[in-house]
Amino acid sequence: MNTRYSDKNPIGLRVLTTAGKVLILGVASVFTAFPFLWMVISSLKTKADILNTDVFFPPDPQWQNITGILFDSPIPRYIFNSAWVSLVIVAIQIVSGAMLAYALVFLKFRTRKILFAIVMATYMLPVAATYIPSYIILADMGLLDSFGGLIISSTVSIFGIFLLRQAFMQLPKGLVEAARMDGASHWRALWGIVCPMTKASFITFGLMNFISTYNNYMWPSLITKTSDYFLVSQGLRAFFVRDGAYGTEWALVMAASAVVVIPLLILFAFTQKWFINGIGGETGMKG
Amino acid sequence: MNLSGTKRKFKKRYDRLPTVLLFILPALIPLVVFWIYPICRSIYLSFTNWDFISPTYKIVGFKNYLSLFKNPRFFEALWHTVVFTAGTLIPTIVLGLVLALLLVRSFRGSGILKFILFSPWITPTVAISIVWTWIFKADGGIANTILTALGASPLKWISSSDTAMLSVIIVTVWKSLGYAMIFYLSALEKVPGELYEAGALDGANKVQQFFDITLPSISPTTFFLMIITMVNSLQAYDQIQVLTQGGPSGSTRTLLYMYYQLGFQEFNMGQATAVAVIMILLTVALSVLQFKASEKWVHY
Repeated sequence: MNTRYSDKNPIGLRVLTTAGKVLILGVASVFTAFPFLWMVISSLKTKADILNTDVFFPPDPQWQNITGILFDSPIPRYIFNSAWVSLVIVAIQIVSGAMLAYALVFLKFRTRKILFAIVMATYMLPVAATYIPSYIILADMGLLDSFGGLIISSTVSIFGIFLLRQAFMQLPKGLVEAARMDGASHWRALWGIVCPMTKASFITFGLMNFISTYNNYMWPSLITKTSDYFLVSQGLRAFFVRDGAYGTEWALVMAASAVVVIPLLILFAFTQKWFINGIGGETGMKG
Repeated sequence: MNLSGTKRKFKKRYDRLPTVLLFILPALIPLVVFWIYPICRSIYLSFTNWDFISPTYKIVGFKNYLSLFKNPRFFEALWHTVVFTAGTLIPTIVLGLVLALLLVRSFRGSGILKFILFSPWITPTVAISIVWTWIFKADGGIANTILTALGASPLKWISSSDTAMLSVIIVTVWKSLGYAMIFYLSALEKVPGELYEAGALDGANKVQQFFDITLPSISPTTFFLMIITMVNSLQAYDQIQVLTQGGPSGSTRTLLYMYYQLGFQEFNMGQATAVAVIMILLTVALSVLQFKASEKWVHY
């Protein structure tokens, strides 16, 4: 690998390029990490210190800002709502998406190509264009302002269907046929043979969709009005407007944001490679 | 079991039907109910004068579209969408590629850098937009403290119509930079090493190698990222809602935000769905472009 760039450059130039490289990466990382650091630093300040521009680090860290959010605010409830609603949604999306992808790849039926074209056509469409009629459908079903409405309107993931179809197509053709010969049902072939062999795509699908459902804001904020049903983004925004009084309680607002963001960063630290694989896989298809 | 030929053929064709239905319906029903039907319904509603409250409404033909085209607010929103898209697209793609080039060969600490640069993408846009609101605060915000320390004059950021769009763009680029970088990293890893060896034998220096080998090899990724960023920009809502609510004085109102205000604040469903249809048409145009281009590039 390294011979590819066998360097004939004089040493001075090499030092210069290395310095440039360190500088660019340094500036980019500081720019990226700074808002997170500033959020944590601000969350530990007193009401007086936070508005004093001469104070960078809190002289006396106010840990009770964080514990107050954790034990005496609606934020944990919003986190809990987001977590369990997303888990249910992703579980349904995985089952329904895997079945459709299986049908598209391994079952033979005449409308298969049309079906795939329909799925493909919806892939890039702006989801917001569906919101007004979807809102009316939920209203007619009496599911506005409920967990049921949030879940039922998100049970299909087009991204996931694509990801799984892509993975299934790379399996040897005879695999499912052999399992069928041995008397396995399609259901058993999907979950007993195909799923374990494409585990990586299932994990990527689950994690990516969990994060995007967990963070989702526009649609949940249109259909839920009672704070009992708020997902975390809408809850945090409500906290910002109401309890944060649009900026008079910045330390508390930053503490609330930190409580929301830090668990996600920790989750990401342990699952990073699945996100990167998922994105890399997408380009594999295009390149 | 004495089935005649045709009967057997009939049976063979349709005995798979229950299985097929069982496998496609769990995804197909919600896809139809919450995607395909609403899109068609939106198109239909865009030709009506429905106001959400009254149970009846009339078909009004192209009236909604015509009044949009007569409304300067619509062209403002269209222009803001273009500015926002270009302002997000160019830095995201250029900086994403630069970072990927610097990180494609691993070194000690490169894993941590990738982690940091990608992390904004997984955090909720609402949470980080609230943090950025605090950073951008006109008096006492850290952005102005830094500007003053560097000798520049402080800006009003999100509270002035001159800089509000710039602020929204900064937050969006901050959030999507790592995503573009990861795409480019995986594309750069796939460029065959022999190409560089051949290039080096022909006496190409690194700059020539970059323009003659790297850039053409990763052009499908560049194009794909351009389309994805455009589609995402067309749909950006969270950061606008938290940072500026489309203001000050409409300076950050994009098409999507106009759709939101028309539909869910003014209940002008006819015009709102007309904006939605225009957004659909823009997306379809972008997808067709993507499809045509990927056909052309498939030989790489």
